[in-house]
Amino acid sequence: MLSFLTRRLFQGAIVLLIVTFAIFTLLRVVPGDPARLIVGGMAPDEVVVQKAEELGLNDPIPVQFIRYLGDLAQGDLGNSFFRPKSGATVGAAAFDDPSRDERAEVRDLIFERIPLTLQLAGLAVVFALLMSFPLGVAAGLNPGRWQDKLAFFTGSVFVSIPNFWLGIVLAQLFSVQLGILPSLGYKGFEYTILPAFVLAVGISPFIIRTLSVSIAGVMQEEFINVAPLRGLRRARIVAAHAIRNASIPLLNLFGIQLGSLLGVLLVVELIFDYPGLGRLTINAVLQRDFPIIQGVAIFISAAFVFINIIVDLAASYIDPRLEY
Amino acid sequence: MTDTTSTSATPQLTPAELRTPMQRMLREALSRTSFKVGFGMFLALLFGALIYPEISSIDPTKMAVRSRHIPPLFLGEKWVWAHPLGTDHLGRDLLLRCLVGLRYSVMIGICTVILMFVVGCALGLISGFKGKLTDTIIMRITDAQLSIPMIILAITILGISRPTAPAIILVLGLAGWPLYARVARSAALAEKRKEYIKGQRVLGASDWRIITLFVAPAVLPPIAFVAVLDVAAIMIFESILGFIGLGIQPPTPTFGNIIADGRKYLINSWWIATMPGVFLLFTLTSLNLMGSAMENARNNVLKGAA
Repeated sequence: MLSFLTRRLFQGAIVLLIVTFAIFTLLRVVPGDPARLIVGGMAPDEVVVQKAEELGLNDPIPVQFIRYLGDLAQGDLGNSFFRPKSGATVGAAAFDDPSRDERAEVRDLIFERIPLTLQLAGLAVVFALLMSFPLGVAAGLNPGRWQDKLAFFTGSVFVSIPNFWLGIVLAQLFSVQLGILPSLGYKGFEYTILPAFVLAVGISPFIIRTLSVSIAGVMQEEFINVAPLRGLRRARIVAAHAIRNASIPLLNLFGIQLGSLLGVLLVVELIFDYPGLGRLTINAVLQRDFPIIQGVAIFISAAFVFINIIVDLAASYIDPRLEY
Repeated sequence: MTDTTSTSATPQLTPAELRTPMQRMLREALSRTSFKVGFGMFLALLFGALIYPEISSIDPTKMAVRSRHIPPLFLGEKWVWAHPLGTDHLGRDLLLRCLVGLRYSVMIGICTVILMFVVGCALGLISGFKGKLTDTIIMRITDAQLSIPMIILAITILGISRPTAPAIILVLGLAGWPLYARVARSAALAEKRKEYIKGQRVLGASDWRIITLFVAPAVLPPIAFVAVLDVAAIMIFESILGFIGLGIQPPTPTFGNIIADGRKYLINSWWIATMPGVFLLFTLTSLNLMGSAMENARNNVLKGAA
């Protein structure tokens, strides 16, 4: 157990190092001068040169990378190029405007938005499980019958729905036409419902499919066949034996699909103008706010590595036969 | 004479048993209703996309101010036969724009999957077959790549460079290979232990010879068989990029940029954003029905073989 943890953490650290290096290099070699971006198009050239010197942009990339790693080790992800601490925009301000001085820290920007993103993702997973469990379990218990076909068809259609389009259509229907649910921005919990539903439609096909396949497989095992002889009722056999065993592929799926879940999350947040991690990222990319992109990418990779370790631990907890 | 020798060499095998696994998978897939439905839909859409823009006298990028905001057939009051799906805010025919968008979407989807497949499988095969240090290095890179969400990578690169069709294919292909690498690696690991590969080793065949002539033909077809599902996934991805404004640039129509444009006119002309989505939904459903049927067929055949 302990050796497993140290080994996985060590491997995770290496993966993170590669990711950091890749993102760092990528953002350094692309066109676009960060110093010019920071001071704005109106600034005289001396100011740009001075800013570049100040940020250490003239040093070789490996030197910059080591320095960045040093900051990273202290938990410092750097400051945003554009976003000021106060929250006011500096888009068109002159280069010597005082609002250009105080930049928000990337770490704060990220951590402010995590609770909202987690809330959205959590609700989406709940919706997705509510939608997929009945379909998936029914399909797994009746392979080849109409329940199976229904699950197959629903899954095929759900996975084909472009999420951004569904978001627009649902927002139009529920917010504009019917006026039941709000869909833009965030002012309370009800703002999470529509985005979470769109996300859930995106995730549920994978859950339905995994559930139906693994339950169909488990139901043919010997311990299920002999369970009625032990006097167990069918409901208990399905709930306690079949679903419990089928939940391991589900957990692994979660670990693997996490990346694409994040992708969908980003888009959904953008459509619904939901102030989470995704909107921050897309805006940062469109503005070329490199420190934010870098910080988010590293943060997400770290979360990815960490969650996959948790998934493996949880799987071995559910099924003690599994090795780490 | 040759007839008798060949039949005596394999006396009890019926034609069905002589088929290669690939042929059995294809037959199994072709016999499924969902495959037939999906395949039919997809062929019809593809045929439409290839033919209609050529024979139609309308230009998908030409604006006609007089025929702006015409609703689709049978909806509203001023619909016309000339524009079955209506027109957008600049009077451009939506059906034509969707079909041209479909061309790009399918083209990008297929090319990207081929690139993903080639890069991923090559690395995966080498990694699984060579083992040891090569394996460790390739798999750690794969893990790293896998832990950067594709969308962040794609929007970072495309936001900075000019998004053209080849650039999009390259970025998505290079972002999507790790899953193929993992699958190919585990398949190669399993194949490596088999007797006939060991036999090749004894005969003195080089690693390259074994990988290209024996491991790859045995391992790759089942993987390629389910790649159709990825074509659909990449097409969604391409439309997302288009929607954010990082896809192929206007005036060339793509699903993403039509929907992004139409979003501004939702209240008056809901069909501008809705129709391309429905169109895309049909295309993707056809691909996914086909892909899932193929996947199920493959799983059945592989289970029977094991």
